[in-house]
Amino acid sequence: MANVFPRWTNFVPIKIALCIVMVVAAAITFFVYYANPEAQRVGYQPTQPIPFSHVVHAGQLGMDCRYCHSFVEESGHANVPSANTCWNCHQHVKTDSPKLEPLRAAVDKNFEGYTGAPIEWVKVHNSPDYVKFDHSAHVNRGVSCVSCHGRIDEMEVVHQDQSHTMGWCLDCHRAPENHLRPIEEVTNMAYDAEEYLKTEAGQKLVEHAEACGYKASITNQQELGAFLRSQWTIGPKESCFTCHR
Amino acid sequence: MSKHKWSHPKSNEASTTAWRSAGQLEDTKEFRNWMDREFPQGAAELEIDDDGTSRRNFLQLMGGATALAGFGLTSCRRPEKYVQPYADAPEWVIPGKPTHYASVIPGAFDVTPVVVVSHEARPTKLEPNKLHPSGSGVAATEQASILDLYDPSRSKAFLCKGEVISRETFNTEFKKAVEGKKVAVLTDDLNSPTRQRLSQASEAKFYSYNATKGFANRKAIEEAFGENIDLSYDFSKAKRILSLDADFLGTETQGSVQGYYDNRKVEGNDYRQKKTVEDLNRLYVVEGPYSLTGGMADHRLRIAPSQVIKVASLIAKELGASVKGCDYSSLTTFQKKWAKGCAKDLKENKGQSVVVAGLRQSKELQLLAFAINEVLGAYGSAVKTLQAERKGFGTLEDLIADVKAGKVDAVVSTTPSNPVYNAPTNLEFSKTLKENEVALISLGLYNNATANCADLHAPIAHPLEQWNDYRSGDGTYTISQPLILPLHGGVSEIEVISAIDNKGDFAAVESGNAAGLTQVRETFNQVAKSIDDKIWKQALRDGFVAGTAVEASASLNLASVKVKDAPALPVAKNGQLELVFVTDSSVLDGRGINNPWLQEAPDPVSKITWDNAAYISPKTAKDLGIYDKIVELAPKSNLVDNFGAKIGPEIEKAKITDTKDWESGKRTAPVIEVECNGHKLKFPVMIAFGQAEGVIAIPTGYGQGYDENYWRQWEEKDFWYIGTGKNDPDLVDVTTGLAPKENTTLVGVNRGFNVNPFRSVDSDYIASSVSLEIRPERYKVAQTQEHHAMYGRALAREISTYGGDFNKSLKKVKKQGADSHAPENISLYKQRGSTEWWKKDSNGQQTALLSDKVHQWAMTIDLNVCNGCNACLVACQAENNIPIVGKEQVARGREMHWVRMDRYFAKMEYHGEEPSADKGDVDNVEMIPQPVACSQCESAPCETVCPVNATVHSEEGLNTMAYNRCIGTRYCANNCPYKVRRFNFFDYNKRNPLIDKNLYKGPAGKKQVETGAHLQRNPNVSVRMRGVMEKCTYCVQRLEMAKIKQKQVLKSKVYASGKPSHEIKIKHEDLRVSANEVKVACQSACPSEAIKFGNLLNEKDDVNAAKASKRNYDLLNYLNTKPRTSYLARVKNPYKYMPDAKYIGNVTVDMH
Repeated sequence: MANVFPRWTNFVPIKIALCIVMVVAAAITFFVYYANPEAQRVGYQPTQPIPFSHVVHAGQLGMDCRYCHSFVEESGHANVPSANTCWNCHQHVKTDSPKLEPLRAAVDKNFEGYTGAPIEWVKVHNSPDYVKFDHSAHVNRGVSCVSCHGRIDEMEVVHQDQSHTMGWCLDCHRAPENHLRPIEEVTNMAYDAEEYLKTEAGQKLVEHAEACGYKASITNQQELGAFLRSQWTIGPKESCFTCHR
Repeated sequence: MSKHKWSHPKSNEASTTAWRSAGQLEDTKEFRNWMDREFPQGAAELEIDDDGTSRRNFLQLMGGATALAGFGLTSCRRPEKYVQPYADAPEWVIPGKPTHYASVIPGAFDVTPVVVVSHEARPTKLEPNKLHPSGSGVAATEQASILDLYDPSRSKAFLCKGEVISRETFNTEFKKAVEGKKVAVLTDDLNSPTRQRLSQASEAKFYSYNATKGFANRKAIEEAFGENIDLSYDFSKAKRILSLDADFLGTETQGSVQGYYDNRKVEGNDYRQKKTVEDLNRLYVVEGPYSLTGGMADHRLRIAPSQVIKVASLIAKELGASVKGCDYSSLTTFQKKWAKGCAKDLKENKGQSVVVAGLRQSKELQLLAFAINEVLGAYGSAVKTLQAERKGFGTLEDLIADVKAGKVDAVVSTTPSNPVYNAPTNLEFSKTLKENEVALISLGLYNNATANCADLHAPIAHPLEQWNDYRSGDGTYTISQPLILPLHGGVSEIEVISAIDNKGDFAAVESGNAAGLTQVRETFNQVAKSIDDKIWKQALRDGFVAGTAVEASASLNLASVKVKDAPALPVAKNGQLELVFVTDSSVLDGRGINNPWLQEAPDPVSKITWDNAAYISPKTAKDLGIYDKIVELAPKSNLVDNFGAKIGPEIEKAKITDTKDWESGKRTAPVIEVECNGHKLKFPVMIAFGQAEGVIAIPTGYGQGYDENYWRQWEEKDFWYIGTGKNDPDLVDVTTGLAPKENTTLVGVNRGFNVNPFRSVDSDYIASSVSLEIRPERYKVAQTQEHHAMYGRALAREISTYGGDFNKSLKKVKKQGADSHAPENISLYKQRGSTEWWKKDSNGQQTALLSDKVHQWAMTIDLNVCNGCNACLVACQAENNIPIVGKEQVARGREMHWVRMDRYFAKMEYHGEEPSADKGDVDNVEMIPQPVACSQCESAPCETVCPVNATVHSEEGLNTMAYNRCIGTRYCANNCPYKVRRFNFFDYNKRNPLIDKNLYKGPAGKKQVETGAHLQRNPNVSVRMRGVMEKCTYCVQRLEMAKIKQKQVLKSKVYASGKPSHEIKIKHEDLRVSANEVKVACQSACPSEAIKFGNLLNEKDDVNAAKASKRNYDLLNYLNTKPRTSYLARVKNPYKYMPDAKYIGNVTVDMH
């Protein structure tokens, strides 16, 4: 009786199995590298209705974050400024720029296209509904804007800088000293702990720490953060209810 | 060596029994089965009868949906979301932070001063205005009114004879109906100074109608004191209170009850005062059906409501009030002794005692109460006569008389009472209006019977949408300010009255809320005697103007009270029965029918939801031969108690119904047909313990509309009908002759039974000459009574002041039930998180669980002042986005309330003595309510069984839920000894549970948005989805808010000191929320402040003082769960000269 299957077919199952393994491995690799929050979220840079430049406002003009995001120390939400906040300056500056037409439509009653409807800014940082993040709890305790949002003052168009995953949140909740800084420096985008310690204020801090009987040396961010943590009794929680409720 | 075998001590034969329902009392097999399961059988299964969706069917649907979803995966990028900041930001609004405004919610008897919580101009929650002299708590009915604001089924359109018309057409029609005509305005009877001022300037005649108050009270006051007078009771000045069928702590408030509870608190409101037993007040109640006030009574006499006057006359005679007539010889010896004892106590406390009569009781009884109060010297102390704001206002009777006399051309009705539905039948409201060709113009929140019957209907503005003002129960001028513009173009009462005065021309009235503001401001200027804007703004901020109550100079003008002979005592055996129309605690006179929170809140006494029923006492039921039909008896001999002992003697085997039906939510009640006042109506009948014999009590307000799904409420299809016609296709309403289908919304349709055809002006509350027939059909009822029951243990505890040595009684608190003999909770293993553990930890060595040194949260619930009113339950629902599930789901035991209001009945304790008619009413029972929510156990049994760590303990002692992590195994609920966990069997928040079979359709079901009020939801609480377990977490969102606010201390210290931030030292104490600052939702809503909440680490928090009380005990202490919520035992304060004093307040003492 002749062989029904030729000899080469002996290797077909192995080839198929190998092929499946490779495809699956490729798929897993793809998901691990490209479908995780780091890859998906970081760098998200939507186009905004008004090409607002943080480089100009926060960087070159040196405006404090809290001029526009005015309730960040009061509320859980760091509010996007209402149109009349923009209009405070822009009724005098670059009023006729075509880029500002959506603003004028919202707030300038003399503008022909005035509607009074709010400007629709595209949300860059989205957290799910079941996560309750509170800005005031962080900025009032020495966590800087930069820690979560990156160097906004260097972004012509805002993009997401950090992954904002739960693991990323917990990294800081477990070791807040990596991010704590004096309250005065919270909105300072260019802050660097080692540079700060060289300044007069930084020197005073070190002196004060010594005067308080704080034993460890303070030379870098971790050490500075550890001192502030003990000084302000900062104990971020890791249990679920801190963010989920 | 023999194994030590611990055996349960033998039960004392005479020991007390406490029970929750007839099923438990009789210990039916069904009840046993129900108790054995964590969730009742049907509750855990996707199974549906008849033509519904089966599990297989459901999987098919789900499969289809998943496949379809695959096609939608066009892009993996999440959708764009937008941030829309204000174009022109309003002052005071901080996105993410709620604003608070003082306003007022008009209720059925009184107004409730509230602080409205508003998220970005969206009112979401009502909190009590504690600044206000009568601001104590927000009752369930008022709390739920916020849901009406967003109800998508609210009246939105202007109607002309049922047809939708435009606002312009309405204006023209209104002008036609009103201009140059004799107009009558039918309003609510709450005291509104602006309404009074407008009425005096207006040519229209004013009448007031409030079905919950009835007619007798006003007639009595007018006879005794004169016109335009209100009586306000100040219970803080009363040490002895006698209630003659008045539910003044429950549905029939007659002045602020804060004073009553303050005098009731054994250790004072802060649990730190040194009071003696003599400082406690004492409450006597004479009533028929059990009310919440009756449940709070130290001495309760149950007697048919028509007979109350006999007891009252005897007491009046004993006290020396002049009474003529009334033969009380038919009272039993015990009843006479009771009345005499009560009179003695009242007399001894002259000047500090007061009598309150039921508002809808007979005029004679009310006059008698006035006369007794005169003798007791109550006027000027506990009873105040206040100037009302109804001068010149007629009653509904006057209106009908004027209509018949041709003095009225048009009636403009703004009353929330729905007169077409519930006006007494002898007035023939709608018929009289039609016959005399009087136009009816109705303004209402809903398209109810009155709206549909009216010639013209306009949606009225919700109380939170309009300007108004009221006098609160104590007479204080209180302002109602709008928080939102009328959502559906509603018209306010002030606007309408102004339009009538302007020849019916709305164009002449300021539009929107401007008219209301102008008028209220003008009244304010007169009341406050100032036109200063500063004072006005202060009044708006506070919500009231202090010291504005106007005391009337009127005094009692009553020579002697002539009392007609009371009707004969109803005896069920002889076929003599008495009907009582009690005010329903949820829907009141029918105004709450469309509110799902109120419908689903179980009746505080009967625990029935979504329906009403006829209630009769067990003995009367036996006399009528219906008891066995209600409670299907099982052979008791087979039954054993928790410890293996046989319970009770063997009794005759009776019919056992199919347990499966009973468990799967098809529990039914037998039906009776009652004939009275020329009408024959059917009602399901249920057992009510402690109700007077011969009395049938039926709550008002139900049965306003039926649709084609009505038959599903019945056991068999053949038996669905209303009125007289069987299978009547139009379901004609017997009162109005209209098809009532349209008179309610999806919430109120097919709900309960209408009693109004039985009522006339004279039999507004009590009707005698009743005949009754037992019907073969059965009606499905949804009772929460036996869900989540805790069986045979001293859970709610009480002690008595009787016997002189109160300290001895106090010692008994911790030794009741199993705690009397169970070994102490001693563990060799020093558990992490135990109460002792964190208290001893001061050296900072422990860093693991429960390590928080700033906050350790705890709660106490004082059963002594809890009357079981459901305020906490509804407040929790409003705060925590708890969905409603509908009648069918409640019947299956799937209700979602995080706070469950348990209610226990208990037999009197005779201490082994033979009960006899002399010693007490042997068939009377005590009622003890007990709210139970998650106790936040330190050794929580639920946490250890969760396979995914979705429920974990927080550092602050909370048993928290991570909803997004829960996979719905329900292990935790299975392991919870308190049965406080609730499972989302369906997507109750998203899919509408009120549409028939809708939940079972899965993704194909209709969305909740159409009838649900998603706008009301609290943005700080996750909305839970299907398949997720949920429960109370001590309002963790409020705790976090308070903590975050406290964290600003660093910044404020930097600003205040001017020092660099690193020099500021922040200690644990600085981060601690200040004492009694954070209030959880149930706590702030509680009218009696029975709930205390706070931080165990802060000595100043009241909760610590409460926990130190000797009355404090843990629920199921012997399980060693170490709950953070503890209870304080109830104290009964019987009078030693009463015949039954010895036997009161001991029902749980001997339990073991």
